[in-house]
Amino acid sequence: MENSLQQLKAEAEEALCRISDKAGLEAFRVKYLGRKGLLSSTMKQLGSVAKEDRPRLGQLANTIKKGVEDLFADSKEKLESGGGAVAADMDLSLAGRTIGFGKCHPITQVMEEICAVFEGMGFAVAEGPDIETDYYNFEALNIPKHHPARDMHDTFYVSDSILLRTHTSPMQARIMEDRDPPLRYIAPGKVYRCDSDITHTPMFHQVEGFLVDRKVSFADLKGVLTAFTQRMFEGDLPLRFRPSFFPFTEPSAEVDIACVICSGKGCRVCKRTGWLEILGAGLIDPEVMTMVGYDPDEFSGFAFGLGVERIAMLKYGIDDIRLYYENDLRFLEQF
Amino acid sequence: MKFTLSWLSKYISTDGLDSAQLAERLTMLGLEVDVVEQLYAGLDDIVTARVISVKKHPNADRLTLCEVEVGDETVPTVPIVCGAPNVRAGLVTAIARPGSVLPGGHKIKKAKVRGEVSMGMLCSWKELGISEDHAGILELDSSIESGRSLKEVLELDDTMVEIDLTPNRPDCASVLGIAREVAGFTNQKIKPPVKEVPTLDGSGVDFTVTIEEPELCPRYAARKLTNVVIKPSPWWLQRQLLAVGMRPINNIVDITNFIMLEYGQPLHAFDFSTLAGKAIVVRCPRENEKTFTTLDDTERELDPATLMICDAEKPVAVAGVMGGLDSEVTETTTQVLLEAACFNPVSIRRTARTLNLPSEASYRFERGVDPDGVSNAMERAVQLMCELAEAQITANGVDEYPGQKELLQLPLRVQRVNELLGIDLTSEQVADYLRTIEFTVSGTDVLQVIIPSFRIDIEREIDLVEEIARLVGYNEIPTTLPSITMDYPQRDPLRQLRQDVVSVFTAQGFYEVINYSFVGDKHSDMMGLAEGDSRRKVVRLLNPLSEDQAVMRTMLLPGMLENIRRNINFQQSDIRMFEIGKVFKFVAEDAQPEERYQLCAVMSGQRYPSGGSLYFAGDRADIFDMKGAAENLFQSLRLEGTSGSIQFIADSKNQQPYSDPDTFIRIMDGDQQLGILSRISRKTARAFSLKQPVFFLELDLELLPQLPRIAKSFKRLARYPSIKRDIALLVPEVVPAGDVLEALIEQKNKNVVYADIFDVYTGKKMEKGMKSVALSVTYRSEEKTLDDATVDGFHNKLVNTLMSRFKGRYREG
Ligand SMILES: [Zn+2]
Repeated sequence: MENSLQQLKAEAEEALCRISDKAGLEAFRVKYLGRKGLLSSTMKQLGSVAKEDRPRLGQLANTIKKGVEDLFADSKEKLESGGGAVAADMDLSLAGRTIGFGKCHPITQVMEEICAVFEGMGFAVAEGPDIETDYYNFEALNIPKHHPARDMHDTFYVSDSILLRTHTSPMQARIMEDRDPPLRYIAPGKVYRCDSDITHTPMFHQVEGFLVDRKVSFADLKGVLTAFTQRMFEGDLPLRFRPSFFPFTEPSAEVDIACVICSGKGCRVCKRTGWLEILGAGLIDPEVMTMVGYDPDEFSGFAFGLGVERIAMLKYGIDDIRLYYENDLRFLEQF
Repeated sequence: MKFTLSWLSKYISTDGLDSAQLAERLTMLGLEVDVVEQLYAGLDDIVTARVISVKKHPNADRLTLCEVEVGDETVPTVPIVCGAPNVRAGLVTAIARPGSVLPGGHKIKKAKVRGEVSMGMLCSWKELGISEDHAGILELDSSIESGRSLKEVLELDDTMVEIDLTPNRPDCASVLGIAREVAGFTNQKIKPPVKEVPTLDGSGVDFTVTIEEPELCPRYAARKLTNVVIKPSPWWLQRQLLAVGMRPINNIVDITNFIMLEYGQPLHAFDFSTLAGKAIVVRCPRENEKTFTTLDDTERELDPATLMICDAEKPVAVAGVMGGLDSEVTETTTQVLLEAACFNPVSIRRTARTLNLPSEASYRFERGVDPDGVSNAMERAVQLMCELAEAQITANGVDEYPGQKELLQLPLRVQRVNELLGIDLTSEQVADYLRTIEFTVSGTDVLQVIIPSFRIDIEREIDLVEEIARLVGYNEIPTTLPSITMDYPQRDPLRQLRQDVVSVFTAQGFYEVINYSFVGDKHSDMMGLAEGDSRRKVVRLLNPLSEDQAVMRTMLLPGMLENIRRNINFQQSDIRMFEIGKVFKFVAEDAQPEERYQLCAVMSGQRYPSGGSLYFAGDRADIFDMKGAAENLFQSLRLEGTSGSIQFIADSKNQQPYSDPDTFIRIMDGDQQLGILSRISRKTARAFSLKQPVFFLELDLELLPQLPRIAKSFKRLARYPSIKRDIALLVPEVVPAGDVLEALIEQKNKNVVYADIFDVYTGKKMEKGMKSVALSVTYRSEEKTLDDATVDGFHNKLVNTLMSRFKGRYREG
């Protein structure tokens, strides 16, 4: 009995596979599932088996009947929807259908990432004009005319007193002039210097930031920038602060991270030093404070600035800065 | 600033510090080391050699055959073919033998030159990379035996270090200045080359010095040397100059350069016999003194503010910048007037800029030279001139010092140091740090600090705080986080909007691009802008890098057309790109322009660049793709316009010169134009060498944040079923299908929940001048299930209204 049930199941499954039209389906239904069909007649024989086997075999017969009915329904659906028993014309190796999507420029991506880290620390975002006055770009930042520090900025001029900003630091003076501490701001944007080669483009992007309050210290500056670099470069990268000079900060620092290319062992990118400079920073010079009307004995603060192109180059291993502004889709697709 | 380790070690011991450690210490003190270079590393194989005999090459006029002794026991002499004019028997020179490699990478082999064997090459200074001298082969002291290492003989084994000096540290533009810094961290005292200096009181002097501009020249000292013999400097001096990239000239000039590098004090040597009236006058040019010829034989225009060194009659040097041609020391000079002076940094900087004459001297003067250092430098120079140029000092000298000042004394609050740096030092610790760099310190809590004269950068308390920070070491300062009041900053609505626009466009397959803010003038012509078009009124740069980057852009589109062309050139012709950036609107001369954020999007080529032709049958993008992208933006931002709606209006009257006249849509909020979309005109496409159609959208983003937004407000979901009815209308061909739909919606039947156009047909089967517009209308009531009869009532009314409005009728069949 058990054997004949299993055999019937196998026969039915095989027969279903061979069916390719409606007539065949109907013939199958009559032969196996009909009132006088093979399954029904086999069920009827249950009465004649031993009493103790009856529940088990009854359950088995029901399961098989249900299974064949489900298979029959599947085949019927497939035939009706036009597909054959096997979808021979459906090549699943073909690509999915999509209208595609675009991407942000890598500079925008990195700039937003930088802003997001600082916004997470409570910094507000402020943007200013690309075309600045000499006053905000230089004078208010303690860089008077004829100061040698102007050599560090190859400036594009529009007139004697109007220029393309060489950094986004003018926002520091503008905001401090306008508001009272405590202040926490970052200023992202385009900046310009007349310099063009494999490591310089005449336009690039900077994020400048500053914080002013009572009792802000150099140690606090180190803390904020350490938090930033660890978030930006994902992990406990060694960091070093080294003395430098900017007219609007004192003490001034440059910040290096361990070379992300050679992990500090020394390579071409880090000029064999194992370090990569990524930030300029310092405590805001008392002169800058005085110029905006703050008492430098009451308030202190720090400022920092970083180049977005450079950070994107380090994060993504880009080796030619000019690629950013050629807007070749083969480049833009990669990020 | 370049120096060598051998030079540095004349003043300070660097024992126990290798060059890498020294570089690291200096860098961490704020003297960033840029380069550490093992000098003449390629000369290990070069040896000395003596020319024994010379005869003419049988097959070449200019070549000689030499037998050369190379100090090799196995061969007494080797044959060499040489082309140098100075080769002669007895000459001791340098040879590169077969197997050795010259600094340029040239490998020496045994060779046959015009049929004669040559076992190596006799070398010139240039071939060895030591100097630019290529006049002949080396001429060494004839006592030198053959076969010795040239590096050893010339003491070439040295390391050069270059420091990228920040403008605040002119004191370190000298080897002695660097030595002082090293002394600080190695706990040593430097060994100065001069210990005592005479007081120059003018006694017995046969010349005069007058400073007419004491503000511009705080100190001027001069001494006269006689019986001077001008000749090349000894090798040790030439070598020091060559190692830091300076060209040796003659003993007097070399000494002035050497002292400038050693002390940081620029000096100038005049040929005394050229000075009229035996006088030096420091003054500005007289009215008739309009030009001056500097020693590089260039005539320069003088402006009245240029400080000049003059004799009794005329200018003889541009003070602190460059000497004059006529008073220059030459081979025939026998009397030298040596100047050691100090000039006003701003004045020198102005002059060097105006004359475009940056020099090693002006570099130092414009950053600041220690006026107290003049005496030592002068004395050292005089001693060297006596030693190396057989000069004699017959009289004392003149030293005018109108700007003499007391040493600066500054109070320093120890508590302030600790608060600003976030550290905890005692008064004694702070004082000790400052003493290591020659500051004099007294007191507690508020220290009194006397600043040595060479640290002209230290003027304020904060400067001392920085000194403490760098001496403690930035990396020894703790790392803390500031405690600051919590704040919830307002977000800038325009910045937010820009971010939203970026999301909408990237989601629609557009790539973001960034172009330079400056462009070429020619873009205006390529876009076909009319003569008076406001976009031709540009903000112009005074000093652009090139013609193509000379003016600030007034449009984003031209840059993007260039991007398209570039991508097509690289076989990428299916393009969807956008840029969000500023354009600059000229306001007035000498004023900041108006800066406006705009959006420009372009598409060209396949409709779905990444979808491929597999599924989309290579459909080409058209104006409706661009329009759809723009509509999506407004819908996604929920902008409704102050007029109640934002409309896309085909308008042939308000064309742009660069748009295709048949494909032009204005995006309007009432009378306010927000933007336009169109196809690039054929003329502009040709100007940009674009052969395939390009569709674009230009939008003024500054207008969008003010627009009202459709509030998000929940509407109950419909409970009753809806019924759909189609209309096929025949209307005159000139009627825009959109107007038909618009008219339907204007009926404001509250039971119409949705209506759209699903087909527009013009063709052969149509009656001439007519087209078919098929609309589908969905009816539903909020109150009940609509029956067919009611819907028919609504529908017929709508259809009749449309027919009479557009002079149309039912389409049959
Ligand atoms: Zn590296």
